[in-house]
Amino acid sequence: MAINLVKGQTIDLRKNDKGESFDLSTVTIGLGWDVRKKSGGFFGKLLGGKEEEFDLDAIAFLLDKNGKVADLGKTVQTNDGRNLSLYQGDVIFFNSQRHPSGNIWLTGDNRTGAGDGDDEQIIVKLDSLDAKYEKILFIVSVYQGRQRNQHFGGIENAFIRAVDNSGKEIAKFNLSGDASYNNMCSLVFAEVYRNNGTWKFRALGDPQPADSFVEILRNYVY
Amino acid sequence: MAINLSKGQKIDIGLSKISVGLGWNPNEGTGNDFDLDASAFMIDNNRLIPGEGYFVFYGNTTSPDEALHHTGDDPTGGNSADGDDETIRVDLSKVNADIKEILFVVTIHDAATRRQNFGQVRNSYIRIVDDASGEEIAKYELGEDFSVETGVEFGRLYQRDGKWRFEASGIGYKEDLAYFLSKYYKGQIIK
Repeated sequence: MAINLVKGQTIDLRKNDKGESFDLSTVTIGLGWDVRKKSGGFFGKLLGGKEEEFDLDAIAFLLDKNGKVADLGKTVQTNDGRNLSLYQGDVIFFNSQRHPSGNIWLTGDNRTGAGDGDDEQIIVKLDSLDAKYEKILFIVSVYQGRQRNQHFGGIENAFIRAVDNSGKEIAKFNLSGDASYNNMCSLVFAEVYRNNGTWKFRALGDPQPADSFVEILRNYVY
Repeated sequence: MAINLSKGQKIDIGLSKISVGLGWNPNEGTGNDFDLDASAFMIDNNRLIPGEGYFVFYGNTTSPDEALHHTGDDPTGGNSADGDDETIRVDLSKVNADIKEILFVVTIHDAATRRQNFGQVRNSYIRIVDDASGEEIAKYELGEDFSVETGVEFGRLYQRDGKWRFEASGIGYKEDLAYFLSKYYKGQIIK
């Protein structure tokens, strides 16, 4: 059953099918949205109205015991001469999709939202993750949202959700159709953190105007 | 020796370490498992839990002040043949000064959809034990006392003149854990 969360404090009383709490040995963060048909009606379509593309990105910060991203990776140059920063560090995003440990990765960068279900996923093998990581923060952003004048208020059928190892949905936020998301280009979705030797999931649902996760990252660097 | 308390009976707790134990037999017939849950609310002067962490249950096994520790969920009753299947250990010396009362409840998980009540569960009980001597302070036989109910308010530890006392309440409800939580928590509850 999908649980649509609202921002704020929650207590989750659910158990999985075996009567246990969620199996967080692996957690999958799924991000989905639909390609948006540009308005303009029948004549608008005849006159060449086209789909307006939204590019949503899922991002993860791996935080140490001080709540900071310890390894910001390195800057590398692409074949066409562009500089890419944060490569192979503790931030998982479109330019650095697989963590060097192999225990957390992004399944790919979907730039249009085409297809049903999750369009992008971040998968984390929490039971294999190095002990130096205490918490992982998951964020969704509208790529170049301000430049393109796009925000969550204008996206259709967008969601971010978390699924446990057994495939059970832990939490889900609708990112569209809510006035409080107008002009918001990022959402700090949720965190998983260590607690008494196990991992815990906490939904945050904190919308922010930043259209680049780098603005949020500034709060998590040494 | 087990002492079956009458409702409203009060007992002085001159102790610092006690345990609340919940025991029952697994379902030997057909149908769903019996999944009983022991939970505790640490309540402040406003009659609320001061934060999510002060609700101790299968999803949160240690309170922030570390005064309460839940040994973990038993979804079938199979943890122990005769003894407690779930235990909440209490160290009263560690309780946060804001906490005025600790309320213990037992509920049947998913009782409504599984069509279960305490009357169907064999040898189910909740008890409070002095850890130093192992002596039982109070005990309810759930199946006998609350046969048609699905939730029981067992009793509460509360402070009076700097001393902790235990009052057995023994009130049965045809309700679930969310019902009890909603009395002491104003945030969102996901069922």
